[in-house]
Amino acid sequence: MIKAANISHFYGAEQVLFDLSFEIKSGEFLFLSGESGSGKSTLLSILSTLLKPSNGELLIDGESVEKIKNIDYFRQSKIGFVFQFHYLINYLNIYENIALAALEDKKQNIEKILEELGILELSSRYPNEISGGQRQRVALARALVNEPKIIFADEPTGSLDSKNSQIVYSLLAEAVKRGTTVVVASHDMQIENYATQIIRLKDGQIL
Amino acid sequence: MISLKALGKNPFKTLLIFSSITIAVMAIFLISSVSQGVIGMYSKMIKTDGDIIITQKGISDTFFSNVDIALMQKIDALQDVASSYAMIVGASPIGHIPIAGIYGTTQNHMSHYKLIKGKYPKEGEVILGANLAKQFATVSVNIGSKSFGISGVFSSEIGFEDGGAVMNIEDAGKLFNRSASFILVTSDSPNSTDDIVKKIALLDDEIEVKTTQNFVKEYNQFKIIENSSLVVSTLAFAMGLMGIASVMSMIVNSRKEEFGIMRALGKSRLFIIKNLFFETLIMSVSAYLFAFLLSLGILAMLPHIEMLHGYVNGTLSLSTALYVFASTLFMALFGSLIPAWIASKTDPILLINQGSA
Repeated sequence: MIKAANISHFYGAEQVLFDLSFEIKSGEFLFLSGESGSGKSTLLSILSTLLKPSNGELLIDGESVEKIKNIDYFRQSKIGFVFQFHYLINYLNIYENIALAALEDKKQNIEKILEELGILELSSRYPNEISGGQRQRVALARALVNEPKIIFADEPTGSLDSKNSQIVYSLLAEAVKRGTTVVVASHDMQIENYATQIIRLKDGQIL
Repeated sequence: MISLKALGKNPFKTLLIFSSITIAVMAIFLISSVSQGVIGMYSKMIKTDGDIIITQKGISDTFFSNVDIALMQKIDALQDVASSYAMIVGASPIGHIPIAGIYGTTQNHMSHYKLIKGKYPKEGEVILGANLAKQFATVSVNIGSKSFGISGVFSSEIGFEDGGAVMNIEDAGKLFNRSASFILVTSDSPNSTDDIVKKIALLDDEIEVKTTQNFVKEYNQFKIIENSSLVVSTLAFAMGLMGIASVMSMIVNSRKEEFGIMRALGKSRLFIIKNLFFETLIMSVSAYLFAFLLSLGILAMLPHIEMLHGYVNGTLSLSTALYVFASTLFMALFGSLIPAWIASKTDPILLINQGSA
């Protein structure tokens, strides 16, 4: 599903990733672990097409990211994001937040996903009217709505208590069971229980 | 839909943009309307009762023009001339009013002023416009250094006339030391106007003869008013533009996270630009309508403000409304262009960087 070949990255003169090569198969639950400053957020940004690597090649679903003409559509149709902070748009209600991300032909999925995540009754509420755990579930619903091939999650439980963290991990694991590839960057070692593949980073290199 | 919700979520900033557009649009409306009103009043005065106007050669303003009234006899004798009359236009303090329009006219034009009270003036008398007459309960009034009896009151829809005084041309001649400011000629048929213009021009080397249509088109004072109005309107437009651009920049800066989310979700740059344009468009169209109604209200009030004596009058034409509407749209789109462009360039990576901070 994802093939990284000799990925390196520089911020100015400082090199933060060193010649990384690895492969993530379809339906894997990859745990990207490492200390702060290890380069995991940079690597996640590169894998999720948000950042162009300084060197190396990235292939997603057989396509070289560099050669993709409409990266916006590619991102919308094939990739889902979950961030540490829910990043919901606060003037849109829950349904509208998810609809904003949904492709036209995937809008029919919204209610089904909200129901599966147990938040259907929240659809007309606004982000500031629900709890932190509920918000993260909405963010997950938004990531799932287009039935993406890959979900990238950056510290998805960073702002949640352990109970809500477990819920989020279980939901990501459910997505993996349905064939979605999940890549999670986190400090939280609990995720090891769900991961099928682990990449540990230190100082920009795979250990 | 998203644009409407976004506007509702930022009421203060929305109000700021709305206000800056409203003020700019209203300023453009009022400046254009008042200058058009002033031009309209004066050109109506000239155009209503004549096809041809004769003024002194080389004089930029009818106030300074001096034409020999004796020319009227020669003009009346020309073929195809239906009638002619002479006028003196001037301005002078009237009683306690610091300045008002004084119109001296020949007897054959006196009926142009519709009497609502009293009779037309004889020597040493004036009739006052209805607006000016409100200021005087006396039987006489001082104009310049002379006292004139008030013989009647007339009404005119032309603000300059309604706020002024009319007297015989002989009295006005003594007051302003001239024979006539201009002579207006009416032809028997519109086809003969150009011929008459040529014939009159041959009568005296010191005169300038034009059709009233051309006179209004070429009159320097109108050009000055139009150009001044254009300059002030352009300044108002520029201020509105800067207002939109600066508040939109503030809005874009405070909503960076939101644009980052949209970019991360795969929304195109065009989507963000279109939404911000649409937000500005909604505000601009509403501000335009609001400014239009306010301007209509102010323009309706202007003729009734006593201290203005009806001299300031606004005409809001369809072409002005369309011109201001086009300016508003241009102001909105141009003002939001750079902020929208910056917003669309928001790098979604900031969401990950914030998360890992």
